[in-house]
Amino acid sequence: MLCELITNNTHNNNTALYKCYNSNKVFYRKAAFSHWGNKVIDNENKGYEWFYKDTGTVIETILRKKYFYELDIPEFKGKKFSSESVISGNEKIIEMIIDFYKGKWSTKDVFAIHGDLALCNFIIDKRNIKLVDWEHFHYSDKEFFGYDIINMLFIFIYHESKRTFRLSKRNRDFLRKCYIQLIEGVENSNKILEKPFQNSKAYLLKFADRFLINTNIYKKFVLSGSPLSVLEHFDSIVTK
Amino acid sequence: MLVPQINSTNLSSAVGLGLIGFNENDIAVDYGCILFDSFVYTSRLCKKVVGIIPSSERLNTLQKRLVEEDVKNCDLVNANYNEQHFNEVFDCVIINSFLEQLIIEIKHDKTIFFDSKIRDKKRYNSPEKIRIGFFETIYKGLRPGGTLYLSYANKLRIRTLLLFIKLAIESFFTAISLKKAPSFISLLNAIYLFSYYLLSQEGLEKLLKANGFIDIEKYAVFPDHKYPLKIIPLSKLDECSFEPVQYISREGSLRRISAGIKRRVDRLVFNKFKLFDLSPSFIITARKAS
Repeated sequence: MLCELITNNTHNNNTALYKCYNSNKVFYRKAAFSHWGNKVIDNENKGYEWFYKDTGTVIETILRKKYFYELDIPEFKGKKFSSESVISGNEKIIEMIIDFYKGKWSTKDVFAIHGDLALCNFIIDKRNIKLVDWEHFHYSDKEFFGYDIINMLFIFIYHESKRTFRLSKRNRDFLRKCYIQLIEGVENSNKILEKPFQNSKAYLLKFADRFLINTNIYKKFVLSGSPLSVLEHFDSIVTK
Repeated sequence: MLVPQINSTNLSSAVGLGLIGFNENDIAVDYGCILFDSFVYTSRLCKKVVGIIPSSERLNTLQKRLVEEDVKNCDLVNANYNEQHFNEVFDCVIINSFLEQLIIEIKHDKTIFFDSKIRDKKRYNSPEKIRIGFFETIYKGLRPGGTLYLSYANKLRIRTLLLFIKLAIESFFTAISLKKAPSFISLLNAIYLFSYYLLSQEGLEKLLKANGFIDIEKYAVFPDHKYPLKIIPLSKLDECSFEPVQYISREGSLRRISAGIKRRVDRLVFNKFKLFDLSPSFIITARKAS
């Protein structure tokens, strides 16, 4: 079997991602290189289990608990996206993801957070949506419904504005449209949607340990390091 | 199944060994034990690992590290490679950065790495001969079907490139004078080095085949083989994507600028022209025929 090393120790996660070529079959393998890496991989597997549960789909991941854990993940067919994707040109996809989130996350008995929901972690084949990279998966209270989407929107803002946080009117209108799509039918007790960006940052910092991060949180998540004034600004744009 | 420790060191620098896929019952040997993390990583995933270290100083350092890591399934031998004659014992032979050390030793008679008491006395052996002797030894030690893992830096490329740049500058500035003679000699020298470099890349694979190894796979490694961030199998170049990778450095604007330039050059060299023979390091895996 031939392997290609895709990433190694990203954000000090003590794991590596290989792409493996075995005869005609291609799959990905995430391997740990420390006990911390084992925790990350175990957690990732739980994320996949949660994602696939109740879908009627067979869980296609294989977890091997050797001294250092290994997780084999199938290669999902479909369109992949850059980690620096912007809003412009991806509007339809973003709306589709919010729809998908609302359908998938609200029907689950146990609420969970992906933790790093970004367009680059989606693989989309027509209407078939697969979600990868569940390292930061954790269970949470349903009152935090929406966190993942708000985090994803903020990543879009970050890249769209080239880190200046200045957006065109068209993009601002689109953000507001996304927010309305997300809050439709959400319970009043929700703790994210009143001041979505500020409250999402508060969630991230308060429950940082749930995200299994082995580096400075400000380096990993752009939302966590963004000034309050910026978040207030975007809160006012989407909730006005 | 082995039970993980509560706290264990991050051995991410040993990521190249993930290409092998160790089994719990494997017995491995590490010639040189240059990279301690790789040795510890192998001990975690194999039944046993044997380390052959020519330097007693390095042996002591590694012993301390193994005590810290609570590694018990290992044997360390303070000897040169050609003093060990194993017969079909090992499932895997690991050679990390050791070829370069051997060549340096032979070429310059350096005692930095080897203890004088066990240093190879045959100083006049050419590097090629040493390599052949080395491969014969490791081949005998491997069981049929066993795996060879070899990692080494592509050191000659920088040297060659610098020589060509030097020559280009010299030929530009040198007037028609007697200075042309040494310039011409250094040009020949550079051509020789360049051809040696190209030949040694192919030669190494030929050497492995000549020594009975099969299923030889060569990988380009970035930024280097001591802490790989990207490894590309050269037989799958069409299916792999290359994006420049560098160790993160935030110190100083000059470093950031040079890192930016390097990224652009890497994109040009590896993405556009696919000159993977110029990769900073290589890994070779091969198998002894069953």
